[in-house]
Amino acid sequence: MAIPVIKDGEMPPLWHYGHDDHDVISTKTLGFWLYMLSDALIFAGIFAAYAVLDHQMNFADGPSEAQIVHPIAAFGQTFAVLASVLAYSLATVAMKHGNVRGVLLGIAAAIVLGAVFLALELSDFAALFAMNATPDRSGFLSAFYVLIATHGLHMMFGILWLLVMAAQVLRFGFTRDVVAQMLNLRLFWQFQAAVWVCVYVFVYLKGSI
Amino acid sequence: MGADSNPLAHPEVQQASVIGYVAGFVASMALLGVALLITELHVLPPMVLLGGISGLALCALLAQCVMFFGLNISAHNIWKSVSLILTIPLFILTIGLTVWMFQQLDALTMMPGSGVMPGMNSQPTLLQ
Repeated sequence: MAIPVIKDGEMPPLWHYGHDDHDVISTKTLGFWLYMLSDALIFAGIFAAYAVLDHQMNFADGPSEAQIVHPIAAFGQTFAVLASVLAYSLATVAMKHGNVRGVLLGIAAAIVLGAVFLALELSDFAALFAMNATPDRSGFLSAFYVLIATHGLHMMFGILWLLVMAAQVLRFGFTRDVVAQMLNLRLFWQFQAAVWVCVYVFVYLKGSI
Repeated sequence: MGADSNPLAHPEVQQASVIGYVAGFVASMALLGVALLITELHVLPPMVLLGGISGLALCALLAQCVMFFGLNISAHNIWKSVSLILTIPLFILTIGLTVWMFQQLDALTMMPGSGVMPGMNSQPTLLQ
């Protein structure tokens, strides 16, 4: 059923009697947007815990934040995650033009850059483990690992979703459901960049002040 | 023509733009680059520096809201903008109230006079 066309300056109708057919894509993206806001609240809770545990007393004679964060090295991760988000966002521009090859190219680039991000993060973790800065070392380190790894897990599931979407685009083409999922993945992937801005500034940069 | 007849004609597909996404990427990289630079230079006092990088982070988030998420007050996107604005107080309460509460607790009970919050030496009134 066609969406009623709203002319400029005219108020859209609030409801239609007998209009039980919704704009499926908008319904799905708004629902997913609300879900991502609740995901953002989970991050807010983790950031609050980190802010509280980032305190002399909770270092428990273990390493302080200044000893475990390396903002210049982490800027490589900043580039990887933002470039990955850019690559996937450009894939949705290709989708706008019905360009399957462009979509697959963008998804492939996003996967590679996302994997680079995760590899950098895991090598960072390995270096911390080598200096005995493990999650059980102190309350501060527990909060640090939970925060960084929660974002890392989001990145991992995002890469999985990117692979699924590449397969779906190849198999089904740009059907209504595939397009809605491509749009939801764009929201999910861009959200990871927004969370990383907070992680980078309030963990890596603040930690080295 | 309705959105259902051709999914690619949907406004959220059509809002994708190369210029917007590249601008969002460049703005985010530039703002975080400046934040890294002023942190590494160590010329500003710590609290000024913290305020500065927080401001830069806020600018990067705003740029991403507009250029990546495409938030605006158009009929199609206004409910995303409204739901985000209604969620922001929850972010502030979750993080701000928690940090404030523990700072007060720290100053009141843990290590009196440790200088966590200068000017907190007067008689506390919070818990009376």
